[in-house]
This record gives sequence, structure tokens and C-alpha cells, in this order.
Amino acid sequence: MSRAAAPHAPSWSAWRLLAGLLLASGLALALGVAVGSTGFALDWSGTDPMQAQILWQIRLPRSAGAWLAGALLGLAGAITQGLFRNPLADPYLLGSAAGARLGVALSLAVLGGTPMGMQWLERLGLTGAAFLGTLAGVSLALTMAKGVEHTLRLLLAGVVVGVVLGAVTDLITLAQPDILRTMQAFVLGTTSFLGWPSIVLMGGVLLLSLAVALGASEALDALTLGEATAESLGVRLGLVRALLIIAFALATGTAVAQTGMIAFVGLVAPHLVRNLCHGSHRQLLLLSACAGGLLLLAADILSRWLMAPQELPVGVITAILGGGYLLRLMHKRKYGGRA
Amino acid sequence: MMSTTHATALSCEDLSASLQGQPVLHRLSLQLPAGQWTAIVGPNGAGKSTLLRALAGLIPSLGSIELLGRPLTEWPRKARARELAWLGQNESSGDELSAQDVVMLGRLPHRAWLAPPSSADQAAVQQAMLQTQCWDWRQRPLGQLSGGERQRVLLARALAVQAQVLLMDEPLAHLDPPHQADWLQLVRGLARAGVAVVSVLHELNMALQADGLVIMQAGRVLCHGRPSEADSHRALQQVFDERLHLLEVQGQWLTLPLAPMTSPAPSPAAFSNIVPLKQKAD
Amino acid sequence: MKPRFVSSLVAASLLALMLGPVHAQAQAQSSAKVEIKDDLGHTTQWSRPPQRIVTLLPSLTETVCALGACERLVGVDRYSNFPEAVNKLPKLGGLDDTQVETIVSLRPDVVLLAPSSRVTDRLRSLGLTVVTLEAKSYADVQRVLDKIGALLQVRDAQAVWRRIEALVGAAAQSIPPQARGALVYYEVDRSPYAAGPVSFMGETMARLGVKNIITPEMGPFPKISPEYVVRAAPQLIMIGKRNADGLFQRPGWDRIPAIREQRVCVFDAQQSDVLARPGPRMGEAAQIMAQCLREQSSSSKKAR
Repeated sequence: MSRAAAPHAPSWSAWRLLAGLLLASGLALALGVAVGSTGFALDWSGTDPMQAQILWQIRLPRSAGAWLAGALLGLAGAITQGLFRNPLADPYLLGSAAGARLGVALSLAVLGGTPMGMQWLERLGLTGAAFLGTLAGVSLALTMAKGVEHTLRLLLAGVVVGVVLGAVTDLITLAQPDILRTMQAFVLGTTSFLGWPSIVLMGGVLLLSLAVALGASEALDALTLGEATAESLGVRLGLVRALLIIAFALATGTAVAQTGMIAFVGLVAPHLVRNLCHGSHRQLLLLSACAGGLLLLAADILSRWLMAPQELPVGVITAILGGGYLLRLMHKRKYGGRA
Repeated sequence: MMSTTHATALSCEDLSASLQGQPVLHRLSLQLPAGQWTAIVGPNGAGKSTLLRALAGLIPSLGSIELLGRPLTEWPRKARARELAWLGQNESSGDELSAQDVVMLGRLPHRAWLAPPSSADQAAVQQAMLQTQCWDWRQRPLGQLSGGERQRVLLARALAVQAQVLLMDEPLAHLDPPHQADWLQLVRGLARAGVAVVSVLHELNMALQADGLVIMQAGRVLCHGRPSEADSHRALQQVFDERLHLLEVQGQWLTLPLAPMTSPAPSPAAFSNIVPLKQKAD
Repeated sequence: MKPRFVSSLVAASLLALMLGPVHAQAQAQSSAKVEIKDDLGHTTQWSRPPQRIVTLLPSLTETVCALGACERLVGVDRYSNFPEAVNKLPKLGGLDDTQVETIVSLRPDVVLLAPSSRVTDRLRSLGLTVVTLEAKSYADVQRVLDKIGALLQVRDAQAVWRRIEALVGAAAQSIPPQARGALVYYEVDRSPYAAGPVSFMGETMARLGVKNIITPEMGPFPKISPEYVVRAAPQLIMIGKRNADGLFQRPGWDRIPAIREQRVCVFDAQQSDVLARPGPRMGEAAQIMAQCLREQSSSSKKAR
């Protein structure tokens, strides 16, 4: 018969959580505009044109860009965790990370040399190279898995692609050792140079990916019951998988291109949301994006503030924040256990 | 053979299917009538679950399958999902959705894309959850439920589809006797309402209460008839290595596993209302 | 006749007496051991200079060659590429993958490496003599020259240092007056990492008479906020070719005088090599920088 049992942890309603996250993001944005190379300084006078330029051209787009990049990563993380029904999935699956790294290594190695190469580098930039690399890595994994029917095959193909492309990248850095430090800086991630063009680009991709993911949210919910059950409910699994992979590749590629590879944001944001609010994917996707944005923005502020005017690598801070939160989660409850 | 007093809801002819390269079903033909509850039994590895998946169109197969008179391949995806509900063995991994949200997923075939649930959907969900006694705790997330509670929620999900054909694979897993009795009542009610209920069961005693009994062995149908018929009993003994003791108790057929007795057998007078079946076939 | 014989005998014995101690001293000198204490405090003694040398740091390679012992090198690390002759030597890997077995098989008398090397203990345990040296500043370079010169028993190791100083001085002299005192930002790597005044690049810049936007407290190679560069408003930017893409599009940087007036020196890979190594080519590094300063100030652009 029915059991009268108390719920385990207080569960926020999705709307309250959304409001909370957006409010916190707004506050963080304001904080981000106030923190700069001189530390925390609330100076809104606007009389000094240099200060005004710094506020509008540097701090505001950088803070907003950090939020947007975090949102893209959080959304991508929620998509992969739902698609592969694996709470350990992160946006760097399916060869996206390896592809981005290889793209950066190739362009640094090849384009550092010839003059024609320099022209290409100027036009493409490392951002373009990383984006194309991400798409190439995911496409390669898809080709190897011969389509999107089998998730296990996809995951395996992603691992293989990651290893192979990683080896090629290592060969390139061996041949041209002086690109090594630049590669490492890329891998640690940076929000330093986000400007208004980046904002427009990331905002557009975020809206697009969000739209596609929300459209597939019902299918993602059905997938939690198993692939066979989802098919029996009339879900077009193949189409849904293909669309979701495209959305996630776009989101990850854009974020990685603009800010390098930042760890943990895509992995932690969905967990943060799920821990606070039990909801369907429709809510989870949007909330993960907001949570990811808040997380990366907070990390960016900390990286600028702690040792101003020097900066800490933002990827180190997200690893500390995100990893610490995951540790706390694991400590609090037996992970994955059922009542 | 059964007399076809009911229309055939789901049928297959020369159905063959393989699992990971190994052939599992061998040119199987079956007619499942509407308004009846058919139970499928057989030893492990007979292909019962595979048969159910093939009939639901979830795995590729050779041969022809017809749903409500039309070939399965001609059915549009959503229409098929509305008329054929499938409940698999527990393969879900979702812990976050509430029970009600899970059952609402059963209404997906009826809802337009991204449309909010209509009042008909809400009513169907409520009815299904009341039928399996999980309405009272509908807000609890799936991950916090016990095995039996979870199974009832998944059952409600399949019921919420309100399909004309309901295929269930081991629906009684984790259910204790009161809930098994509820399930029995539920299934009989559905059959009376015209639904074709097909369930793979390994609880033989439950299966023997069905309207129709399909006995499978090694990917083939050995017998399809009423549970009370002698042919069915013979087939049961055959697939279970003559290790069954079949008894009729107060009009219902029961089986017991046949284990050698350590004490001398009781005299027939001790069981005056039990008619033991002959052990050897005619 | 007899007195002349006696006087020559006396002269000869006096000569012998005088030369005796000198000869003995010379003998003592040649049998005296040279003691080298490396940067980690480890002391080694050498009765004669090493004949087979392995170096695992490009600046140490260049130092050994500058002191005239290039032909004694039997192996170098992957990144050593100057002078041209060392490219024919076996390359023994980088920081992560130093080929210990190959080094041992080369039977070197000494292995010269940096404190950051991970194979020091390993090589020592295999019976090799390891000397750890590192140069991070001008003073360090001079000291390393001294030590390696003592190790190789080169007569005038400081000749190399004097040459460096001369080249740096000449470079400083060649800066036109309007370029003196310019505010410079040297970007070493993306993110961005800058060269501070306490690094050797910073010291070169100071010798050339330009000002650095980085302050000494920030360390040799701080990772700074791009906003800081905008506030500091350098008049000249030095950057490597690999990091130069998108420089002019960086948000908010169009305020910087160096960007506005396009006073940016882009160093190619070879120049970057020279600039990045604290070794015998520091003089050339100063000249590269000086050339950059001259070019950027001599064009029609007005210096502020």
C-alpha cells in the first residue's frame, strides 16, 4: 500500500531555482564589472573615459562572456548526461576535446611558419581552429560509430578518437616543442579576451542549442525509461540523437573556441541542478545552462580578484570549485543508491 | 487450436529474429486475440522476451507482423505507439523524475510535440495510478521508491497509454501477493474492456489463470491453447522436463515443482478434493 | 778558467734553486683538483676537464659552445638547436621523456642540466656525474659562465661575458633618443603572460633604457589581466609571431597607444629562441630588441 514517507531533501521548485540562479547571475555580473586589475573597485562615475572604456569594452563583455560560455558548457553537459544516461558524461566526450586540441596544435605549428600560413592564422584565429577541430572530432567519432543508433558504440568511438587525435597532437608538439606552452595555456582555459563579438556569437549559439535541446526534452525524459521503452512510445531515437549531438557539438565547440577547455563546468552544473530540484529535462536543460553560467562567472571573478593584477588560470578555479562540490555531494549521500 | 471467437489484435507469421547474430525465433506464427489475456511461458532462453520485442516492432525481424489487421510496418510511428503499449523488464535509469511525471510519459503518443498535458492526459494518468495504487505518493522521485513501488509506477505508465494491445514482460517482478492479486484483477478488467493483454510470465500459477496460454521452447511455439486443456499440460511437462506437478484446486489449475519426497507419499484419501493428473502422457 | 767554471756552477745551481720551486708549483697546480659547486650545492672535483659532455638545456649547450668546447659535446636535449653543429648530435628528449639509457650509453664525463630536470637522481644513481645549473638573470648567466669555464678549465671564460656586455652596450647606444624611456609591454605567451623586470628579458629591456609596464613585485613572468595592460598604456608591444593573431582585435585594446599607432614588434621563431634563452646570445637578444626599438621609432609615427 502507499507509504507515508518524508522526502529526503528539500526540493526546490524549478521556477524558484531558475529565479534564484538568474538573480545570482545578475549579482555576479555586477560584481564582475566591479572587479578588475585593481581589485574590487566600485567606480561608476563614468567621467574618466579610460574607466568607461574599461567597464564597457573589457569587464562587461568579459563577465557576460564567461556566463555565456559557462551556460554553453552546462547545457552541453546536461545534453550528454541525458543522451548517454550517464551522470559522469561531460561535454568533452565524443572526441570534441581531442579535436579542439588538435586544431589548435595544427594551426600553431603550421601557421607559425609560412607567411601564407600567417594570413590564414590571422583570419581564422585560434578560436576558429578550435571550433573546426571540435566539429571534426565529433564527426570522426560519428563516422567511426557508423551513425547514431548505438550509444555504446558512440561512446567507444569517442574514446578511440580521443586517444588517436591525442597521439597526433603529441606528435605535433614533439616536432614543434615551442608551441607546448601555448597549448597548455589553451588547455587550462582563459576568459581574458572575450569581447562583444564573442558575446553575440555565444548568445546566438546558446539560443539555438537551447531551442534544439528543449525540443528534444520530451525524448530525453522518455530515454530515462530505457531506449526500448522510448521507442515503444513513438520517440524517433535516431533523429533525436542526431539533433542532440549536433546541438552539443555546436555548443561545446563555440565555448571551447572562445575560452579554451575549461574543466568541470559541464560535468558539475547538471548535478548541481539535480541535487536542488527534481524535474524533467525541460527544466533541467535550462537550469543547467544557468548554473553553468553562474559557475564560470564566479570562477572568472575569483581568478581576477584573488591576485590582482595577476590572474589565476580560470580552469584551475573551476576544477577546485566543481571538484569540491562533487566531493561534498559524494560525501553527503551514497551516490546512485536507491531507497 | 482455439476457436477464434475474438478478432485478432496482434499476429505474426513466419516470424524469425536474431539477437547479436544468434537466431532466437524460428519462423514462429501466432495469433493473439483482442479482449483476452494471453500468457507466454517457457524455460529460460526460449525467446519469450525477444518475441515480445519483435511483436512490438522494437527489433528487426523477418516474416510479417500485423497489428489490428494492418501490417506493423505500415503503421505511422505515433499511431502505432497509441495502439501498442510495451512494458519491458526494468531497464530504466532515471531516478529524478517524479512518479507522476513517469506515468505522464505514457501519454507521449497522444500528445502533440511539446504540448502541455491536456485534461484527458491528466485523467488517464490519474486513473492508471489509482489502478496500481501509486497515486498517493505521485510526487516522489523514482529513485526513492522500493522495487515494488517502482514496478507499479512503470506498470501505470504502460496503462496510461490506453492502448488496445498491451505487451508486458515480467510485469510481476518485485510485486508482493496483494499487488499480484491487484494486477490479476486489473488485467481481467482490461480484457473485458476489449484490450489484448499479452504477458510473459515465469510465475506459472499466474499464467495458468489466463484466457490463453502460449508455451514456447527454443524459439518455437509448442502449444497455444487454454490453460485447462490437456494439450497445454502436456506441453508444459515437456518444456519443463517433466518436473511439474499439475493440480486442479477449486477450479483453478496450479503447478508445483516436482521434488522427490523423503517421507512416504500420503494416501489419496488425505486429499479428497484434489484429482492428481496421470504422470505419463497417453 | 777555474773561477768561470765555479761561477757557472753556482749560476746553474742558483737557477735550479729558483726554478725548482716554480716547477714544483707547476706540478702541484696540474695535480690540484678543481672543485665545482653547482646550483643545488652539490660539489664535484675534477682533476682534468671533462672530455665528453651531455647538456640538457639549450642555454647550457650554447654556453659550452661559446666557451669553445663544442666538439666535446656528445649529446644534447631536443630543444637545443644552436649552433648548427649540435643538430648532428643525438637528441636526448625533453623534460618529460629524457632518454636515460641513451645518456648512459654515451658515457659522458658530465651531464649539465637545470634544477627542473627530473632525471638528476636517476643519472647519479647510475654512476654519472651531474652538475645542475640554472640562469634566470644576467647575474646568473655570468655565474654560470664562470662555473662552466672553471669546469672546462677554459682560460678566459669572462671573454664571453665581456662580449655579451659589449653587444648589450652597443645595442643600448644605438637606441635613438626619442625611443629612450618608452613604455614597453613584452608578451611572452597567451593568456597573457608578460615579462617582468626581474626576468632576464626585463633586465635587457632595462639596459636598453625602456620602461616595463610590469612592476618588480609581480615576479618574472606573471599572468596578468588584459585590463592592466590597457591601464598601463604601453607605447610599444613586443610579441612572438605565434601569439600575435588577433592582437589588434582584443577588446578594449584599441585605446593602447601601441595598438593605435601600430607600434608592435613581432618576433619570428628564430628571434623568439634567441630572446628566450638566458645564455651567450643575450647580446644578440639585446640587438634584436634594439632593432625593434629603432624601427618603431624611426618611421613617421611620432613618439609620445
